[in-house]
Amino acid sequence: MKCEQYQELFTDYMNKQLTTEQQTELETHVAGCDSCGHELAAMKELWDELGDMETPEPSVNIRVKFYAMLDTYTASVAEKRGFWDRVTDNSSRLWQLQPRWPLAYSMIVVLISFACGYWVFYSSRTDKQDQQLQALSSQVHELRQTMMLALLENPSASERMRGVSYTSEIKHADKQVISALLATLNNDPNVNVRLSTLDALAHLSDHPEVRAGLIRSILDQDSPLMQSAIADVMLKLQEKRSIGSFKELLKQKDLDRRVREKIKETITQLI
Amino acid sequence: MGLLFERYHRILYGFLFHMTYNRESSEDMVQTVFYKMLKYRNSFTGDGEFMAWMYQIARNVLKDSYKKKSENVSHYDVADFADRIDGGTAADEQFEIKQTRTELHSAMKNLSDDHREVLIMSRLQELKYQEIAQILQTTEGAVKVRAHRAMQELKQVYLKRKC
Repeated sequence: MKCEQYQELFTDYMNKQLTTEQQTELETHVAGCDSCGHELAAMKELWDELGDMETPEPSVNIRVKFYAMLDTYTASVAEKRGFWDRVTDNSSRLWQLQPRWPLAYSMIVVLISFACGYWVFYSSRTDKQDQQLQALSSQVHELRQTMMLALLENPSASERMRGVSYTSEIKHADKQVISALLATLNNDPNVNVRLSTLDALAHLSDHPEVRAGLIRSILDQDSPLMQSAIADVMLKLQEKRSIGSFKELLKQKDLDRRVREKIKETITQLI
Repeated sequence: MGLLFERYHRILYGFLFHMTYNRESSEDMVQTVFYKMLKYRNSFTGDGEFMAWMYQIARNVLKDSYKKKSENVSHYDVADFADRIDGGTAADEQFEIKQTRTELHSAMKNLSDDHREVLIMSRLQELKYQEIAQILQTTEGAVKVRAHRAMQELKQVYLKRKC
């Protein structure tokens, strides 16, 4: 290496930035080279002087000023932050403060209790409603029954027929209704009322009392219309127990001829 | 932030003082640098690079101050600084030291900013080339070359003044 190249390394040498190899190489060269030795000595002097350059201590003011600035800055930052920022900050801090699992657990407990409460109250409320509805409908039912029974007592034939027609709306006819209808069937002076009563009773044929009553009433009817109508109903119901009553009826001498034929036909069909 | 101040403000002040040789403006600039660090603290990431970050801000502050001062030519209160040097040394010796240092200061003052900067960092602040390279955002090799040239320039200027 030339002297110039070594001299380029002087700064690094003084700065202790050379590798040990480079350092020993440079030192050997400088020891043997006068010009380089002088150069390095001069540089070293300058370097040392540079290092001895005094840096004054900053004044006390610098610290005071800094802390004043820091305070002002933090205050201004705090002021700038809006109300909502603080609220969200605090709530998030609350979340951080709380151990998360217990908080989540208690939230779940609260939710479950809400659900239970809702379920209990809701179901009890529907029960209540059902009960109320049932009570109400039974009241309506009773009302209708009473009205029907009252209408059957009415002197006007059309009113009595209206009463009979109500029975189709009564789902569960009780004994009182059936006996009232049967009484109407046997005793009502108006043929039309009796015919519609027969219709109504035919709908209630599920009840054994109705069937028995109908069979009994075969002999009580004197109108040919009623007699043939009962025969139709009996045929429809396939009521074999009515055959005896019909045979009794056939023994009556004043029986209408066409009725007689119809009843004979019915008996043969029933058998 | 207070902790950082306690730890670094002397180093920072030293750097700024040697860059300006003005005590008052150096103190002001230390303040400005810390304010900027506070304000832009989000831009700082990583631990080891803190010094580099701080120096980068300081250099920007210096650049701004040069711009401001460009109209009324900067004056270095070297005399004021020289007056401050005291101790138990004899008057003659003291005078000599004063003389030498004042001349060195003048020589430093006459260096270009780039060269003065690299000498301050490497000699006075005892930063490694690698650290300086990080601050100046350049390579280690470039720093080496710059330091060498700076020493050469200083030597020439200084010897010229001495002779």
